[in-house]
Amino acid sequence: MESTSPNALADLVRRAQRGDEAAQRELIVSYQHRVAGFVYAMTSRSDYVEDLSQQVFIKMIRALDRLQAPAQFESWLFRLARNTCIDQLRRQKLRRIFLPFGEEHENIPEPPGAVNSEELDALRHALAQLRPQDRALLALVQEGRSHAEIAETLNTSVAAVKARLHRAREHLREHYTPEHET
Amino acid sequence: MKPEDHAWRSLQEHASAQLRGGFADRVLRAAHGPQAETWRALQAHAAAQLRPGFAERVLRVAREFPGVPSLLDQFALCVGTAVACIAATLFVHSRNIDLENEKNLASWQQIAMEAHANDPRL
Repeated sequence: MESTSPNALADLVRRAQRGDEAAQRELIVSYQHRVAGFVYAMTSRSDYVEDLSQQVFIKMIRALDRLQAPAQFESWLFRLARNTCIDQLRRQKLRRIFLPFGEEHENIPEPPGAVNSEELDALRHALAQLRPQDRALLALVQEGRSHAEIAETLNTSVAAVKARLHRAREHLREHYTPEHET
Repeated sequence: MKPEDHAWRSLQEHASAQLRGGFADRVLRAAHGPQAETWRALQAHAAAQLRPGFAERVLRVAREFPGVPSLLDQFALCVGTAVACIAATLFVHSRNIDLENEKNLASWQQIAMEAHANDPRL
């Protein structure tokens, strides 16, 4: 969707809001890879990507008529994605309280070949060490969101975004060791 | 060369032998953090997890399964349930009080009749 002008995107969103299925499909196809990337950065789990991305887009379709500013669709969509991932991570944490072996079952390493490079594996490993809020912040920056847009997505101020981003980047660097020296 | 220079050199050699190959690259990568291409690889890996026909599946699920009720609907349901519970409690309470009153009245009538029978002056 990067190449689409804001006006074209707003028109597409308005059509989707009116229930035009072709427009809804176009929105999904345009954003599915970016949302998948965001979900993976948030959860570090390949097996969650399809399910959580699906949940994000189902929520998008059902809540689209409540979006008042079609121009802010992208911020709104990534807020949905962030909230969906954080809910999933919370549920996972809650399950661990009741299921003593949950953590072992959930932290099954990715099968060989699932991640195709040392750097990617290191990035996945480093992201997994951060708080979900920091992962969301870094993933939104990689999405090309501006500080103002991120502040809007996270319901916070631009100054707070800058400060948190600085800390999140430092933490990521601390944990980013491509050969897992630690 | 002074004897301590030789010792220093040995120490340095021993220390540098501890560093594995590619040390400088690792330091640079750790210092700069993940590069843009690593983030792109992450996104590409994630995108590859979506099975073909993803959009169709999303649209089908959204069509076939009813959505989650809105907050207003959930609130209305809560209020309705609370009103029904209060009404049921009040009904049961007032019914119990009426039954208790009838029972007490009957007992007092019984007592009055018995008193009347035992004392002809009343």
